[in-house]
Amino acid sequence: MKIDREQWHMIIALLVVGVVCTLLLATTNIFTKAPIAQAERQALMDALMQVLPEHHNDPISDTRDITIDSDKKPTRFYFSRNEDNTINTIAWQVTAPDGYNGSIHILMAVHPDGSINAIRVTDHKETPGLGDGITKNHPWLDSFDNKSLNNARWAVKKDGGDFDQFTGATITPRAVVKAVKKGLEMFTKIKSKLLKKTQQQTEAQHAMP
Amino acid sequence: MQCHDPNEKPVNQKAEIFANGFWHNNTIFAQLLGMCPLLGVTTSAENGFWMGAATLLALICSNLTVSLIRGAIPANVRIPAYITIIAAFVSMIEMSMNAWMHEMYLILGLFIPLIVVNCAILGRAEAFASKNTPINSLVDALAMGLGFTFALVLLGGVRELLGQGEVFGFDIFGADYPDVLMFILPPGAFIALGFILAGVNIINRNMEARKDKQAAMLANMQTKDVNTVEIQS
Repeated sequence: MKIDREQWHMIIALLVVGVVCTLLLATTNIFTKAPIAQAERQALMDALMQVLPEHHNDPISDTRDITIDSDKKPTRFYFSRNEDNTINTIAWQVTAPDGYNGSIHILMAVHPDGSINAIRVTDHKETPGLGDGITKNHPWLDSFDNKSLNNARWAVKKDGGDFDQFTGATITPRAVVKAVKKGLEMFTKIKSKLLKKTQQQTEAQHAMP
Repeated sequence: MQCHDPNEKPVNQKAEIFANGFWHNNTIFAQLLGMCPLLGVTTSAENGFWMGAATLLALICSNLTVSLIRGAIPANVRIPAYITIIAAFVSMIEMSMNAWMHEMYLILGLFIPLIVVNCAILGRAEAFASKNTPINSLVDALAMGLGFTFALVLLGGVRELLGQGEVFGFDIFGADYPDVLMFILPPGAFIALGFILAGVNIINRNMEARKDKQAAMLANMQTKDVNTVEIQS
């Protein structure tokens, strides 16, 4: 098969358009990478401030990474401490993979006894006006406060649980409730390891002059 | 008679392109294109505004680029070329919003990348920019984009007002207003859009009637002139 002049023209035109667009995107990526990371860090900081109680340390730098699922990235735990350096709350991010529209990222803060201090949704692609109530509906978010695995039925009301669903959106709250419940179960499993080692670490830090 | 008839002789070609893009051929009111973002994100005036602004920017970039390279792209491959260009610009806008308008980026979410498939943008590239000069294409993009933004803000404002008693976050109806959730939900978008389109049609009909009246008066005056001349002779 022979490629005639006209076909060469088409191939080159598309090639040039493709290459130029790729270069433009690569350049934009270089310029936006740092600001995006900064914006995400800022958003995380704001979210942490919302879920954590009063603390006397810097939770952003007081962290520990623990691998829970060997084939997944380790989870980062943020510690919030009282004045006497005891831990009052531990915060970490969980992901609900089964949102209405992709994954929902949730920041949950839990007391050492396994009860929730507060939760906030940090990233989602749910329908504006419906599913995005998980970020805007504060009474709903507050309904998680002080709940633990023992004192609540972890499902939306439609499924016989304790948590409201939204009008027109059940899938989104259902995914969030499920993810937070899983987070609590995971916490129960690794709690002793997480708290013990951290206390030791702190002691070691204090021992150093 | 020295009076210009605006219908016969365009005073200014660019003004005409602008009026056409913003109103007479408005993406939403006249062409009924771009319904997905229109109905999806207009739960508030602010969301509508930023969605419209992002679309406006994508439209300006794509119209200008398509117009500049209009001679170099063979007709057979123009659609993939345009789509690649539009997708590149939209991705750049998405990354920039993620970086510098993080909160709004989270709110608009999926609808930003979906600007790529807003047929209004490919439509303008194909129907206008590929046949016109860069300056005229820019005016067309500006008018179309502003018209689209106007429609989004209008629908978002109406839904926010009826659904939450606020516009741009400012309380209008006071705290006692019982929020009509339906206007925030998708059915409210369709209903509000229906009423807005009806309103637009009434305005257009009135404009048409006025134009007809003017034309009739003009014709009347001309006949009078003729009559006067006849009498004098």
